Amino acid sequence: MSDIRLVDAGTVPFIRSQTIYHALGYTMTPDTPDTIVFARPESPYMCLGFFQDVEEELDVSFCKANGLPIVRREQGGGAVYIDDGQLFVQWIFHHKSLPLNVGQRFRLFVKPLIETYKEIGVNAYFHAPNDVHVDGKKIVGTGAVRIGEAEVVTGNFLFDFDFDKMVGALKVPDMSFKEEFANSLRQYLTTIRKELRSVPDVAVVKKTYVDFCERILGRNVVAGNFTDREIAKMIELDAKMQTDEWLFQMKKRRPEHRIVKVHAGVYIGASSFNVRGAKAQIRIRMKGGTIDAFSVSSDTPFLRKEKAVLERTLVGLEMDDEVLRERLGAVFPDRKNGTEIEQLLKQIRKIKNLKPNG
Amino acid sequence: MISKVNECVLFTNLHYKVEDNTWVRVNDDGTVTVGMTDVAQSLAGPVLHAKAKKVGTVRKKGRPIATVESGKWVGPVKSPISGEIVEINENLASQATLLNKSPYNEGWVVKMKPSALEEDLADLLTGEEAVKAYQAKVDADGITCTHIEGTEEY
Repeated sequence: MSDIRLVDAGTVPFIRSQTIYHALGYTMTPDTPDTIVFARPESPYMCLGFFQDVEEELDVSFCKANGLPIVRREQGGGAVYIDDGQLFVQWIFHHKSLPLNVGQRFRLFVKPLIETYKEIGVNAYFHAPNDVHVDGKKIVGTGAVRIGEAEVVTGNFLFDFDFDKMVGALKVPDMSFKEEFANSLRQYLTTIRKELRSVPDVAVVKKTYVDFCERILGRNVVAGNFTDREIAKMIELDAKMQTDEWLFQMKKRRPEHRIVKVHAGVYIGASSFNVRGAKAQIRIRMKGGTIDAFSVSSDTPFLRKEKAVLERTLVGLEMDDEVLRERLGAVFPDRKNGTEIEQLLKQIRKIKNLKPNG
Repeated sequence: MISKVNECVLFTNLHYKVEDNTWVRVNDDGTVTVGMTDVAQSLAGPVLHAKAKKVGTVRKKGRPIATVESGKWVGPVKSPISGEIVEINENLASQATLLNKSPYNEGWVVKMKPSALEEDLADLLTGEEAVKAYQAKVDADGITCTHIEGTEEY
């Protein structure tokens, strides 16, 4: 097969770290080589998935106050904080050069990433459907998009991560949700620095990665440059992708419920509701199909009285109506089969059924 | 009439753009319904989001009429014909997995008023011709369709 072009774009303006792969996709012709790009943003920003609503996902005031511009990508997935602690790896390949099946495409893409992580001493492994984990913690997030004739897949080497900025920028219902999210993020997300207590030479990481790409893909990877046409498209997209029309094109509203993703399989959801005329809110951290953490706040005495028991006894249970009904019946024996228990179950069900952000 | 190739369902009364994995149903009122094939939903995996272009949008064949997200992959649904979008499947906004569960019925994507139907249909395959083309495609690409829980039974 033909050689793969490697473009090491180095450190680039924040918007360019996104527009490079979009531009290469839009300008791809049959003669364009499959291309691997390295890029690092020179300043931090928040990046949204294509289907996300800016005002639903982000605390726009926090972003403004902290000088965090917002970018919507054409790829899927959720909102993420990005800064120069990440080295982007972007594949812009002809669609025929990659597996047709999206799951298989992600599996192929993460292989050289995983091998490189291992080579530098980080025991990384594939976590279906499209992440890379280390000891149960996410270290690589991926995204993919079909643009014109190109299939684009991106991932990263996560050297460092500013947990506080990520937590601050995400829109959450209240401070306790924010604390829960911050704790969960630290529990379920890791970085190269956290794993190795130091950061390896980026040039060595890049070289190792390219070597693994050559071995895994069975093709030569040859250093090259962007064409004038590709650069012109990047400049055009730099402007377009910062317009309000592009950023605010998705409008969704789920005012009573909120869910944020920690990583694939771990989500925090909250639901506000009325019980016996008083306001109540439950918050659940879900891991797989089970309750990993549960909290409740309410002015109504029956919930307040059993708050501690509830927050302890539901943890570890499968999010199944029958299982939960039985346990709630044991916590509130005088309300067994009562409407309050059914109301609680309904809210738990709502959180369970909230669509993850990707 | 239904055919299956490598577990992939095909309705032989539909017209297929095989390389884009889309189908067209010609309706009695002169409009056409457009959707994704069983092969398309299998390759994409469970669809989380779907957004069609607005009613009134005029599209040439080969241009996107909708965008879908499965997992973290986003991709277009390309129009197999030229024409104007006259109706979109509003149910996909809240139940995008209809594209997986019922790709030829409840999971339709848009209805269009075609501008050159006869000409465009001539570029599509139907009946046994479509089945043969899909057989060749799934064999060449090693595709076997998979179906998520709740998929319509044929």
